[in-house]
Amino acid sequence: MDTDLLSAVDLPVGYGGVPVCAPVTLSVAAGSAVALVGPNGAGKSTVLQTMVGLLAPLDGVVQHDGRPVDERDAAFRRAVSGVLDDDAFFPSLTGEEHLLLTARAHGVVDAEAVVAAELAAFGLTERAAALPSALSSGQRRRLALAGALVRPARLLVLDEPERRLDTAMRRALADRLAALVEGGVAVLFASHDPAFIGTLADRVLVVGEDECPVVDPADAVAALQEG
Amino acid sequence: MLLSARQEDEWSGTAVRRFTRRAVASRADTAWATRAGDLLSGLTSAGIAVAVCGGAVSSLREQIAARPAAGAAVLPGGLTAGAVAVALAAALVALFARLGPVSATPATAAWWLPLPAGRRGLLRGELRRVALLSAATALAAGVPVVLTLTHTLAGVLTGLAAGALLAVLGVGVLAVRQAAGGTRWVPGLAGAGTVLAVAGPAAAGCVVAAFGHELRTTGPGSWAPWLRLGVLVVLLVGAGLALLAADRRLGRLPAGALRASGEAVQYATASALSLDTRELGRALRTTVRRPRRRSAWRWVHGPGPAVVAGDLAVLTRSPARWGQLVVGGALPVLAAHTRGLAELPALVAVAVVLGWLVAATALGEPSRRAAASPAADRALPLAGAVVVRARAVVPLAVLVVVCGASALLVGQGAGSPVGWAALGVAAAPAWAGAAVRGGYRPDLDWSGPVLASPMGAVPVGVAATLVRGPDVGLLGSAPVAVGLLLGEVPLSLIGVQLGWALALGAFAVATAQRRD
Repeated sequence: MDTDLLSAVDLPVGYGGVPVCAPVTLSVAAGSAVALVGPNGAGKSTVLQTMVGLLAPLDGVVQHDGRPVDERDAAFRRAVSGVLDDDAFFPSLTGEEHLLLTARAHGVVDAEAVVAAELAAFGLTERAAALPSALSSGQRRRLALAGALVRPARLLVLDEPERRLDTAMRRALADRLAALVEGGVAVLFASHDPAFIGTLADRVLVVGEDECPVVDPADAVAALQEG
Repeated sequence: MLLSARQEDEWSGTAVRRFTRRAVASRADTAWATRAGDLLSGLTSAGIAVAVCGGAVSSLREQIAARPAAGAAVLPGGLTAGAVAVALAAALVALFARLGPVSATPATAAWWLPLPAGRRGLLRGELRRVALLSAATALAAGVPVVLTLTHTLAGVLTGLAAGALLAVLGVGVLAVRQAAGGTRWVPGLAGAGTVLAVAGPAAAGCVVAAFGHELRTTGPGSWAPWLRLGVLVVLLVGAGLALLAADRRLGRLPAGALRASGEAVQYATASALSLDTRELGRALRTTVRRPRRRSAWRWVHGPGPAVVAGDLAVLTRSPARWGQLVVGGALPVLAAHTRGLAELPALVAVAVVLGWLVAATALGEPSRRAAASPAADRALPLAGAVVVRARAVVPLAVLVVVCGASALLVGQGAGSPVGWAALGVAAAPAWAGAAVRGGYRPDLDWSGPVLASPMGAVPVGVAATLVRGPDVGLLGSAPVAVGLLLGEVPLSLIGVQLGWALALGAFAVATAQRRD
């Protein structure tokens, strides 16, 4: 199946009418993973936020399932899950409660078992009852990622998912995401990690000032490894 | 694990809010009795504040009644109180527009807004909270204004209720605008409203005084009961309808804008709680206008003129600062032409200090920015002290005009106009020094001792930092206050004012940067 879940053609992105990078042409189909690469400040996060409707494009539209993206639409929120906001948690809710809130609000069947499994997958079972302020930076990152995976989604949008994760957890996450892609989920992510990109991505979009070409993952990984 | 979900089992926004509220409440370390005690304590404090305020206003009324009428006092007190009320309302509108008014904290934006629950249900509590907060703010700010407007119980209650309802109405309208595409233009419009509210009556007072007439109005205290009730009913219905319309549009609010507003709220709240007025100003700062054309800076030769050029650019691209200058210049004029204020020179002197402080604060913006980014100053081939001196040039040039014109109009009908203008011009160096000293003031020092006072504990280090800048301006305006008490400006007073202001200005600039 090659249906585009999310697509944009020559989309200018930026803030206050000023583009941060060259216009982006991008499509993410079900069962595929697209990586965004580029140096710090290239505009990867801006592209991701624009693709999911958190930022308005400077011109044109992003299409989701053939319709303009509207993040206020419940159907869009059921379909798309993501981790774009770093380190934002309710200070008085435990990690487990954050996940339970998300799972129950999405109508997940057997939510408590799903949450327990997610906590285990991210190595947070022992810290389930801890408040976010008592978690380490890496644990909070894992909790945020668990929040994106504790509910069903057709498209995952992740901004540098490998950030603040140890090597083993990075590998486990990449493998898990690859399995989800095998199962038909689409993944759009920004990353600086060659191994993560090599494991997961089908295509790579290089975000740049003059152009944003789509390249083969092997070429992108080689370029990243060369620095 | 294969995930499955049932749409019919999804939570509503109300259920999400309830879950979060219960989880938070289960960890709250305050019992209901503590909260009830806090509420009682708050209400008692508010009652004492109202009583103190009422007593002060009543005492002032008696003092003013015992004084002969001032010649240039041609504006009724009610008109000026109304102008202040409009200015306060505009400030409140600008504040709530800058903060949303509906916003989402980063946590809410990350964990609530991506849920399939209707956004209306998720944000309804926030709308209620903002509406209540606006009503409480209007009540608090409205007490002194309403007491000035009227002294009958019915009038005071009508005024306060009308203020609170107007605030709720404003929040409702702003939330509707927010859902319709944003409120970015509102702070500018509210700023223009403030300028008109203060400068308009001040200008009218000058013109009316020049023709030897005076204006009279009636306040809400003298309105018939049916009229007061009618006004309140209209406002109540308007506020209710506005809130209803806002509630229906909550679902249209975009997550990105909600989060941006939430971050502004957090920044502003943290700044306010830590008494950091400079950070609060940054948190509430409106957008800077992009220049229509690129500046060529052809007249800039050398680092000193470069500092002046940079400061001019900062000010010319911030229209709000120019509005602040007009308000700052007009405030003393308004006081000097208002019956009930002009009779007491001390009150006019307070208005002079407040007005010129507003103007100096506007002109301290380049210094505040330089203090926030010291690398820019260090990049110049000039000693730090010379850069700070150069930064006083623009404030001095502008304040010569603002203080001169303001003093000229304050002294209308009281001796030589040239003398009053010269007195204002002579005070400008002190306020220019205040602008630079205030802009470069160090971060708040919470490590200092705490002084017990009737108002509670006062952290001395924080208070000492907060008054850096205004202190010099206040001292530098003493000769102006003497002139107001005398009701004329002897030539010697101008000489004293100039010498005193130059000395204070030089001191302020020389000590603006703390040497660690």
